[in-house]
Amino acid sequence: MAPPNLLEIRHLQTHFFVRGKVAKAVDDVSLAIAPGQTLGLVGESGCGKSVTAHAILQLIPVPPGRIVGGQILFEGTDLLRLSQARMRKIRGNRISMIFQEPMTSLNPVCTVGEQVAEVIRLHQGLSRSDAAARVVEMFQLVGIPAATSRLREYPHQMSGGMRQRVMIAMALACTPRLMIADEPTSALDVTIQAQILDLMNTLITETGASTLFITHDLGVIAEMAQHVAVMYAGKVVEYTDVRTLFAGPRHPYTIGLMRSIPVVGGRSRGRRLSTIPGTAPSLFNLPPGCMFSDRCPDAFADCRQVAPQLVPVGPNHIARCLKYA
Amino acid sequence: MTADTPLNATDNRHPLRDQLQQLWRNKTAVTGLVIVIVFILTALLAPLLSPHNPVATSLHDQLKPPVWHAGGAWKNILGTDDLGRDILSRLIFGARVSLLVAVASVGLAFVVGTLLGAVAGFYRGFRDGVIMRVMDIILAFPYILLPIVVVACLGPSLRNAMIAIAITYVPRFARIVRGSVLEECTKDYVTAARAVGARDWRILLIAILPNCLGPLIVQTTLSFASAILDAAALSFLGLSGQPPTPEWGAMIANSRVLILQASWVMIFPGVAILLAVLGFNLFGDGLRDALAPRLRD
Repeated sequence: MAPPNLLEIRHLQTHFFVRGKVAKAVDDVSLAIAPGQTLGLVGESGCGKSVTAHAILQLIPVPPGRIVGGQILFEGTDLLRLSQARMRKIRGNRISMIFQEPMTSLNPVCTVGEQVAEVIRLHQGLSRSDAAARVVEMFQLVGIPAATSRLREYPHQMSGGMRQRVMIAMALACTPRLMIADEPTSALDVTIQAQILDLMNTLITETGASTLFITHDLGVIAEMAQHVAVMYAGKVVEYTDVRTLFAGPRHPYTIGLMRSIPVVGGRSRGRRLSTIPGTAPSLFNLPPGCMFSDRCPDAFADCRQVAPQLVPVGPNHIARCLKYA
Repeated sequence: MTADTPLNATDNRHPLRDQLQQLWRNKTAVTGLVIVIVFILTALLAPLLSPHNPVATSLHDQLKPPVWHAGGAWKNILGTDDLGRDILSRLIFGARVSLLVAVASVGLAFVVGTLLGAVAGFYRGFRDGVIMRVMDIILAFPYILLPIVVVACLGPSLRNAMIAIAITYVPRFARIVRGSVLEECTKDYVTAARAVGARDWRILLIAILPNCLGPLIVQTTLSFASAILDAAALSFLGLSGQPPTPEWGAMIANSRVLILQASWVMIFPGVAILLAVLGFNLFGDGLRDALAPRLRD
């Protein structure tokens, strides 16, 4: 890759220490996002995608969590080495975050306008009235109708879609370079989902911000991202660009995920939707070999003994599977 | 887009407003509120309301009965005590002392307790352990014993009685705030506040504490009731304001020996304490039903 990456995560390890046991929620994850690009992070619940996102902004609750190793390079500086004060200047300003639950991620006792204005005043030192004007501007940008009157509303007076728009307005208020979207549409109705995704796509293009887009929905990835990393049990199992992934997934887990997307009509008619048997292993008790070996249709004897490494399986395409080693 | 909004868009109601309406429908709570308001007005307007100087003695008017008794007169509506002081005037000025003690001690306990509880709940770990163990130690003392010990150390005076009551009340505020803060900290908006780069104190004061206000308001109101009672108890024991301060507890204590010959001297201060405590309790219970339904038994 020719242009330097905006964000580069190198060998990140984030562990949770609970009652004397260690859960390796994120284990040796390396990712990179170029300026203006969107990286999709896919995986099922508990695979470490949200923990990775929280680790970037150091929002992991300590204890029980701890970032044990690795580097998070943002514009060339390692965020893990920054002081608390300098980290605060980055949060919400250079890197912002959109959360999954628009119902709970807004403070119920403040009006939405106050909450967005607070971010602006915190980072840009604008006066109260200037900040208020900027809030109206942001609300119009994210498509909230009657912006001037709605900014005096409380979160409970708004619908889920509107609240998520407020969250997006808050995330973009200081024109960040990187936006982390942690399943921003998972809690919304499908029709609202489409609207929010459209809106995010437009705004990302307009502002030129890079995005780390976390989801468990491969369809959303296809619409939003240029590159994809598939995570499983705290590890990246496949990492490539969107076209390559959808054209030819190589890791058995990704193949399983693709197969379990329902297709309406056509060849699949009358066939059962395929699923991946079993459940993800407990992070407290990981198998010695490949994390996916218990559920993998292609597993052979070595899979249960040898932990696979990420190996190239094509141009700009890596997968963590012994089949290709 | 307006079709899916649950409430009218022009309806900018603060979440508290619905709860206050619910409170208004609760008749016992309103009764309590009326008593509380009368009590506060009496305390504030004491010099205007009282017919006599509360500390002026009159040797000619010792132990006059209330006006409806044989021998009573309109001059001293509720009668006089053994030094000829007008009981009504003393009660009115006593409201002032009770209100002062309640506000000062509960206010002090509120500030200190909320701060300690918030720090404990927010930072957890070592600070939590130290703060909450100290609170446990305070709670381990039998109820009225701790204020007595504190006053015994500091010397009996109104100010020291307030400090003593405040110290005993700190743990209940600290515990309630800590619990609420622990609960609020798990919510996404706290992470969101951190994610936009807010400092710890800002998250705590601006984001979290306003969400803990419900149970705090309830606890404050109920604490006013017990503070008035405790203040009366301390002054009954002679550990609070010294004579001739018109203090309800002290009035009862001084007239103990007269109960058979002049029962009114003791009954009226008792009724005053009862009404004030009852008012705050009824109002506090109503507030609890409206603001913090989870605290109901």
